[in-house]
Amino acid sequence: MNHALLVVLIASGVAYGTPLLFASLGELLAERSGVLNLGVEGMMLVGAVMGFWAEQRLTIGSGAVSLILGLVVAAFAAAVTAAIHAFLVITLRANQIVSGLALTIFAGGIGLSSYLGTDLNLADQPANHQFHAFLPSAMQNWPIVGPIVFGQTPLVYLSWVCVIAVAYYLMRTRPGLNVRSVGEAPGAADAMGINVVKYRYVHTIVGGAFAGVAGATFSLAITPQWVAGDSLVQNSGWIAIALVIFAFWRPELCVVGAYFFGSLQALAPELQARNVNLGPTELWTNAMPYAATVVVLVLVSWRGAARRLGAPAALGTPYAREEH
Amino acid sequence: MRLTIERRLDQPRWLAVVVPVLSVGAALVIAAIVMLVTGHNPISSYHKLVDAAFLQTGSVGQTLIAATPLAFTGLAAAAAFRMRLYNIGGEGQLYMGAIFGSGIGLFLGGTGSASPGVIAAMVAAGCVGGALWALIPGVLRAFLGTSEILTSLMLNYVAGYILTYLVFQSQSYWRQTKGFNASVFPTGKPLPSNAVWPAWTLHTQGGMPIPLGLFFAVLAGLVLWVLYKRTRFGFEVQVLGDSTGAARYAGVRIRRKILAVMAISGAVAGLGGASQVGDFSHGLDADPNGLQRQAYGYSGIVVAALGRYNPLAVLLVAVLIGGLDNAGNTLQGADFPAGLVGVIQGIILFCALGGELLVRHRVRIGRSVAAVA
Amino acid sequence: MRKNKLALGAVLVVLAVVAAVLALGSSANAKSSSAFKVAFIYVGPHNDGGWSQAHEEGRLYVNKMLGSKVQTTYKENIAVGTQFDQTVSSLRAQGYKMIFATSYGYVTPAVAAKYPDVTFEQATGTYLAKNVSEYYGTGEDTVYLSGMAAGAAAKCNTIGYVVAFPIPELIRHTNAFTLGAQATHPGIKVKLVWTNSWFDPAKEKKAAQSLHGSGACVLGQNVDSPATGQYSESAKVPWVGYDSDAAKFAPKSWLTASVYNWGLYYLSRVKAKMNGTWKPAFYYGTIKDGFTKLAPYGPGVSAATKAKIAAKFAFLKAHPDAEFTGPLYDQSGKLRVPKGQKLQVLKGGTNSLYGMNWLVKGVIGSPKG
Repeated sequence: MNHALLVVLIASGVAYGTPLLFASLGELLAERSGVLNLGVEGMMLVGAVMGFWAEQRLTIGSGAVSLILGLVVAAFAAAVTAAIHAFLVITLRANQIVSGLALTIFAGGIGLSSYLGTDLNLADQPANHQFHAFLPSAMQNWPIVGPIVFGQTPLVYLSWVCVIAVAYYLMRTRPGLNVRSVGEAPGAADAMGINVVKYRYVHTIVGGAFAGVAGATFSLAITPQWVAGDSLVQNSGWIAIALVIFAFWRPELCVVGAYFFGSLQALAPELQARNVNLGPTELWTNAMPYAATVVVLVLVSWRGAARRLGAPAALGTPYAREEH
Repeated sequence: MRLTIERRLDQPRWLAVVVPVLSVGAALVIAAIVMLVTGHNPISSYHKLVDAAFLQTGSVGQTLIAATPLAFTGLAAAAAFRMRLYNIGGEGQLYMGAIFGSGIGLFLGGTGSASPGVIAAMVAAGCVGGALWALIPGVLRAFLGTSEILTSLMLNYVAGYILTYLVFQSQSYWRQTKGFNASVFPTGKPLPSNAVWPAWTLHTQGGMPIPLGLFFAVLAGLVLWVLYKRTRFGFEVQVLGDSTGAARYAGVRIRRKILAVMAISGAVAGLGGASQVGDFSHGLDADPNGLQRQAYGYSGIVVAALGRYNPLAVLLVAVLIGGLDNAGNTLQGADFPAGLVGVIQGIILFCALGGELLVRHRVRIGRSVAAVA
Repeated sequence: MRKNKLALGAVLVVLAVVAAVLALGSSANAKSSSAFKVAFIYVGPHNDGGWSQAHEEGRLYVNKMLGSKVQTTYKENIAVGTQFDQTVSSLRAQGYKMIFATSYGYVTPAVAAKYPDVTFEQATGTYLAKNVSEYYGTGEDTVYLSGMAAGAAAKCNTIGYVVAFPIPELIRHTNAFTLGAQATHPGIKVKLVWTNSWFDPAKEKKAAQSLHGSGACVLGQNVDSPATGQYSESAKVPWVGYDSDAAKFAPKSWLTASVYNWGLYYLSRVKAKMNGTWKPAFYYGTIKDGFTKLAPYGPGVSAATKAKIAAKFAFLKAHPDAEFTGPLYDQSGKLRVPKGQKLQVLKGGTNSLYGMNWLVKGVIGSPKG
């Protein structure tokens, strides 16, 4: 039963969707505060390389400590990268789209991440430690829930905690409500005494930290190594940007979207291994996340519901007090 | 002490020149520090950079070749961004232009030397392909209010997968199927000889071929400049860009403008795709290590921003960024890590973007004027 | 107005500094060495742990052997098309007149004609000209031997094979791998998953997982990353790599891999060019040349298997590409190569090593991807 196509797809969807989930939670926080950051791919790559570096080189105590250090360093490095974007678009009011693209060039596969990994000599090395599925194998073999729920690495469970935390933060806490008003109507938020600039900085930077953890999910769990270029992360950053919209800017829906997109990535190899031919599989499984996002965007706007569903009205626009 | 930033009431002309130069100067200083810290000689590196982009044999020709696609995608982005219509789908529109342009070239082409008719048809087909692909987000934005930023971005990927599919995963019309070499590795069917765009060779720097596409790009830049600066259409686009409310009040038909501007933007990017086929690859280039690696569409957005969405400035910036790209390839190697090149390019872009602020705003250290008053 | 002047002054200062830097740089650049300059162009990063890294090791070997008589460099992440052209133009201007282009599609007739004074060497291609040589080799022989190790290690009837693109080069390797596996494990099947990418660790890992899940008990690959091996190690199944000795990524699962040694060829061609004996040629290196070999065995290869492989190794050393001697049947059971006939590298259309578009009997998967 655990080899049934659907079970395998969902289990793979969870495993491969986890970096998408982390990255989309981060992007969601930034976008909720009104900052669009297209540099997710670059931040993920920086997180991947620095997380791997910390895990390989900072040998303090046990493997578990190294791995946790890896996550912390990945989050920190990507947060610093995100701070560049924050400074440019919040303080200097640069165009958010252009700055995000510049960030991708700066940090990406032939930029900072590649320089760091090459200079720190991290290429072509197996990881000393990696995140494993750790629950008893009897549990992992339970029908259906075994592979899907219990056969996962600790990062999967961490991502669930993060989803709950982000959802709670946005819906139930005062700062969370403030973020939403900063993203919706910065002028009004400012009038209410909310420090728009500070909120945007914090959320853009924390968003970067999430992207860093997403990158480390590749270099410490899925394919535990660092490789030069952008093949380690392979467009996940862009899919994560799509995912935020696909999930209507809601953390709990990010889970559904991440696992759906993750399953799609697993679909082409899975169908081939099972000798099933469903037309140009490579084309439609690859294109589906993007096409589906377009469809969702259309559905959302069709009913004029974008606002109600959570699209931050001030997304992409700089805020300057004296202009209002 | 605090930093106060205020919008300038007037934007003096000299600022438009001084600020970019100073930004690049600042970028060079920061990048030099980065190079010193990482153990590379900034002076010889900068020399290599300028040498590679503009001085050494053949470099200007190569820079112009690199600038050609960037000019198209830069103009495409500028045409839309002027109206605050954020079409970041230049990449996909370029692919579609390449697909349409090469399709027509293959269909109409024949033997003999370059045929103006066939080339004109390829140009038209490239424009149509790009415009149609851009109209998808355009229609969605005009009629449903769907954000064009994200739909156009998503469609880049869809276009990329279609491009790959046509040559790598199917036996389509675009794929070369005849001959032994075709079986060794999937390639696009080569254009018939009269569909290959001629280059005009300047006899300096050891022969400098200037692609026909560059002339089309300059022409497109001039047309856009006239359209935006000298016609009612351009004026309305400007008004719309400044304020939707004001535009509506002034009687601008917003939907039509959105559709028209997206179509123009997509057509220019699509023309860039046709130029890639006609000028350079001479067949549809779907190699995963070819056209799709170049990300011209995305670089074009940066070009447009640095040219402040002015078509003529965009042409100039395209040449500079094209040179910077080439210089990057020249600089990297056994003694200079490729990753550092991306870092330096990033720093230059950041500084140029940050400098924009100084054109539009006044920065004061200390209390703001408003507070004093 | 005062500000105006200040700003203008600043611009002038910047321009002056740039000019000074350039002037300084020129004089620094003027010194030239008499060393012979050779450049290598890589399609990926030089430290990718796969294809490009193997070429980089070849370059370093040339450096080591010729010392100060040569000056070598590389350019990495160079795309096929105008970027390659630009890179060649710039290398030529800096005096690099011999260029190893290490991927298919770089050197086109147009490029070769445009730079007649540059000597090109291109890996895996078929285009020859006055200034263009092509090189590759019988990787299929050692892939066959690695298939023998896989077949012997299999305790079930299916091997999973992770492959990049459905193109003749990889179809040829897949067929050789299958024939090798069948030599030690008669009747065994090889099941394919095409990743449609040269290097995509996450996708390769997923492909390995899917193959293992659908019944494969040994995994092999014809892609560059060690992800298949990392999965194999965690799933405790034997693994055959490709293109690099990646034993460190899966010490327990590792069996062996077919690897290339580009350095010997590079050295001989650079020497030939230096002493004026270089001629354009199509080089197809063999085991005997030291061009292709097997990486050291892992713990899962038994002594009996090693002996069998050693015997076949000696045979293939004397008879390159002998595994592609008839009778060979395709997937449908149709006789493709009659008894006694041996396939040639370039001649024979789809019945040549470079044009092969059919899979041998026992492969499960489509040659169209």
